[in-house]
Amino acid sequence: MTPTMTGEGAPGTAPPRAGLPTAAPEDCSIVSTGLTKRFRGGQVAVDDLHLAVPRGSVFGFLGPNGSGKTTTIRMLLGLMSPTSGGCEVLGQPMPAGLATALPKVGALVEGPAFYPYLSGEANLRRYDAADPMADPRTAGARVGAALDKVGLGAAAKKRYRAYSLGMRQRLAIAGALLGPRELLVLDEPTNGLDPQGTREVRTLIKDVAAEGTTVFVSSHLLTEVEQMCTHVGVMSTGRLVAQGPIAGLRAGHAPRVRVESPHTAQAVFVLDRLGLAGVRAEDGEVTAELGDVEPERVVAELVADGVAVRGFGVQRPSLEELFVGLTGEGFDVDG
Amino acid sequence: MSTVETSATTAPADGPPGPSAQDPGREPEPRAAQDMERPAGEGAGRDTEPRAYQDAGRDTEPRAGQGAGTGKGAARGQGAGAVAVRRRGPGRAALRMLGSELGLTFRRPRNIAMLVVLAFVPVLIGVVLRVVGGDDDAPSIITQVAGNGLMLTFAALTLLVQLLLPLAVSVVAGDAIAGEANGGTLRYLLTAPAGRGRLLAVKFANVSVFALAACSVVAVAALVTGSILFPVGPVTLLSGSTIPLADGLLRVLIVTGYSAAGMAALGTVGLAISTLTEVPIGAVAGTMVTVVFSQVFGLIPQLEPLRPWLLTSWWSSFDGALRDPIAADVMVQGLLVFGAYALIFGSIAWARFSGRDITS
Amino acid sequence: MSPQSRRARAVRWGVPIAAVAVVGAAVGAGPVIAAAQGDPALPDRTAEQLLTDLAKAARDTAPPAMSGTVVETASLGLPSLPIPGGSSSSPLSLLSGSHTLKVWYGGDGRMRLALPGPMSETDVIATGKGEAWVWRSDTNTATAYTLKQGTPADRRPAHPTPPGATTPADVAAKVLEAADASTSVAVENGQHIAGRAAYQIVLTPKDSSSLVKEVKVALDGENHIPLRVQVFAKGAAEPAFEVGFTQVSFSAPAEENFAFTPPAGAKVERKTLGEEDAGGPFGAGKTPGQEAMEKNAGKVRTFGTGWATVAEVPFSLTDLSKPATGERRDRGSGDPAQVIDSLLKSAKQVSGPWGSGRVIQSKLVSALVTDDGRLLVGAVTPEALAEAAGHK
Repeated sequence: MTPTMTGEGAPGTAPPRAGLPTAAPEDCSIVSTGLTKRFRGGQVAVDDLHLAVPRGSVFGFLGPNGSGKTTTIRMLLGLMSPTSGGCEVLGQPMPAGLATALPKVGALVEGPAFYPYLSGEANLRRYDAADPMADPRTAGARVGAALDKVGLGAAAKKRYRAYSLGMRQRLAIAGALLGPRELLVLDEPTNGLDPQGTREVRTLIKDVAAEGTTVFVSSHLLTEVEQMCTHVGVMSTGRLVAQGPIAGLRAGHAPRVRVESPHTAQAVFVLDRLGLAGVRAEDGEVTAELGDVEPERVVAELVADGVAVRGFGVQRPSLEELFVGLTGEGFDVDG
Repeated sequence: MSTVETSATTAPADGPPGPSAQDPGREPEPRAAQDMERPAGEGAGRDTEPRAYQDAGRDTEPRAGQGAGTGKGAARGQGAGAVAVRRRGPGRAALRMLGSELGLTFRRPRNIAMLVVLAFVPVLIGVVLRVVGGDDDAPSIITQVAGNGLMLTFAALTLLVQLLLPLAVSVVAGDAIAGEANGGTLRYLLTAPAGRGRLLAVKFANVSVFALAACSVVAVAALVTGSILFPVGPVTLLSGSTIPLADGLLRVLIVTGYSAAGMAALGTVGLAISTLTEVPIGAVAGTMVTVVFSQVFGLIPQLEPLRPWLLTSWWSSFDGALRDPIAADVMVQGLLVFGAYALIFGSIAWARFSGRDITS
Repeated sequence: MSPQSRRARAVRWGVPIAAVAVVGAAVGAGPVIAAAQGDPALPDRTAEQLLTDLAKAARDTAPPAMSGTVVETASLGLPSLPIPGGSSSSPLSLLSGSHTLKVWYGGDGRMRLALPGPMSETDVIATGKGEAWVWRSDTNTATAYTLKQGTPADRRPAHPTPPGATTPADVAAKVLEAADASTSVAVENGQHIAGRAAYQIVLTPKDSSSLVKEVKVALDGENHIPLRVQVFAKGAAEPAFEVGFTQVSFSAPAEENFAFTPPAGAKVERKTLGEEDAGGPFGAGKTPGQEAMEKNAGKVRTFGTGWATVAEVPFSLTDLSKPATGERRDRGSGDPAQVIDSLLKSAKQVSGPWGSGRVIQSKLVSALVTDDGRLLVGAVTPEALAEAAGHK
């Protein structure tokens, strides 16, 4: 679906980063300062990123494909070194503090990757064995628990080769949940999952977050972010164009009334009289910022003035509308 | 268009959501995994101590999340966890990772097939010699097999150390990093976090063990075949002296160990090449090309001065163990060359791998 | 790339560079360490004093028991021979490339030489009881030579005693006197060979037609055993021929080195060596070339003196086409006939007032095969050979 609302009243004309409160660095699971990655060809994948992911938040890292999300995640996890700038994960500078930070981080990067000739369980044991902090004596229990969590308990002994796309994705999430994590970094966790699986993943993320784990989840799906996240950061062509609590983002933008009426001029007059700002009329439709006026009073006044009201509604600007203004690009709403 | 009628957001405007907002915990005590009775998120991320979840499975209760933990379990887990953390050194963890690596290597059908082929060669040689009989013009080591089954070991290693053993080791070594990169598993190993230097070290240990296994497979297959098809007795050395059978078996051990060391040195070359690419077959081919070039250089008389510097020219120096006295100087020199190769190519692999961006 | 990441990269790649440096240093430091260990405090000696010591040692004491590794390197500048370097334990392979011999000497005529090849070995064992064994593992043959008298010659260069010399000082003086006409003799101190401090006698030919620039003989500082001989050709910094110990020990080697029992299954031959038999322990079968040489042994003529001596023997290429008379032909590479054949292929056609022929030149030795059936050989320039060929 393509967003259509791009008018002057659309939010995001002011730099959102300045306008939104960000957490202090010591309360953040992820902080980046001026994080930049330039590839050999000179292409800038990530440009001067100042991320701040508050502890305990579910941070939606939103952006269209190719906007630099995965490159950022790779730098956060120490897989790539930044060209300039730096980042801290759980208080550890990356990649220098990788050995200290990463055992407390569960990660899903760019889709699942496993050994096709091993079972799901053996695959998880393999990754667990690579973690120097993991206790081999509890490996079996932890692997079992992680598999149960993603609903793969029954398929634990099946070879990964035989897994469906959705099962593979679940196994990757199970891999991120092998130990108690302080931070989960999930890159497109619902890719390849059916609606049922998507719902389960969302529930899972909420559960994990409820335990106090910070979840950093990247997605190109707006609805996903809207439904799961408390915070959001928006990427566009390598730059972070907005970040902050979702509620804060919404609060910064007033709801609007929409009046469908053949008598547009009259409706405009009434709304002006009520003191509504930003009144705009298009054919058969008048919109204005609601402000402090109760919606029922607007309806009453319109009717009292004899305006034929065919439809009436109060719109909160959807995140999509907010972000389209920021990125100039559309998001898939439901994948 | 996504239109949300009226505000439905429940989360507070700023700060972390839900329980963690009331997070009282700044105690530096380690978090016990089972301890789900406390407000979730308590202490999360604030402790700088090693995690205590190592013992999470003690009472068969899976970790976090299911709300199954009890205060008692938490206390036990904490106490035992602290002890366990102190007891477990990085060496144990590395051993566990090596174990996992070995499991992977020796369960992989391709690697098993290579070992089977390697084991088959001495059997084949033995059967052919038994059926056809030694050709008088054949190299003496082959004709001697007919007189003593033990010699089949040396004959087989002489033959295999030139091409087939290096090939098997190249496959495992070349695949080590490039294979993981190609499958994408490298990024998950590194975020586990395996640690780049640590992963390389484990891979090298794995290749070395495989090299030893490959050489041992050849030796054992040759010993078994030789003892079934031919008489076995005192061994005539290259120097013409004869040693008892037990001594001969000891020399088999030495020869096998030396060959394995040579193959392990090739393993570091393969490992270094493997860090350069994400295409495992390319790394394997690159390693084999190195071997073949090196052997060709060793045959060109004009390049004679180069010979002592080539890895391949030292592989067959295991024949030093078949002289009387053992040509320890030559074999030690060979081992030093292997060590030098391992040092140089190991450090090249490290320099390349530790700084590389993992893009797969 | 930022400066710090560039620095980090430089540091990382510094490690393999350091590794190469460490290996290089270890390779290069071996001789240096050996030199540092060996005490260079040998008293200075003149050539005469040294030769006196040598003659005295040769007369008064038996050579000490010793064992060691001898490396022989020849880069004679011969055309490439059909000898796969190092892959043959045949003595002919010593003509090119680098070879390693193991030597054990137990005194009383007991000696063992081992020439290792890949998965093969040739051993010469003198038991000290009038018997010498030659063992060739590649043919699985053991040959026992019973000597009519004495023992096979020690491989050490012999120091012939000039007739009439009685005391070591006399010997030294006579030798120097004899050499003076053709050679300048100097002594270098402070050499280290195989970890031993050594004197080095440098012999420089005075004759300008000689291909030899100088010959260096290194003598152990303690017991005057020659440790190394180097022959330098004119215009070359590296020796054209070098044989010397890389490792030497003057403790008595184990007795089992000097005993030999043919292993079960080996072909065993027994031969008795006459004085005139030139086959020697190495030649399991006589080669056509050797036969020709033997046949013509009496007809050798020499021209010139000292370093510029040219030897002339009757020689015909047809001698070479005869099949080998040895019971077992050397298969393939290393066949002497093949070697000579390939040498001749590279020969240059020359002619002059003496006739015409073909010249083979190496760094140290020139040979002229004339069409009228003579072979002239000498460590001289081809021009000097041609001049000698004029003396019919």
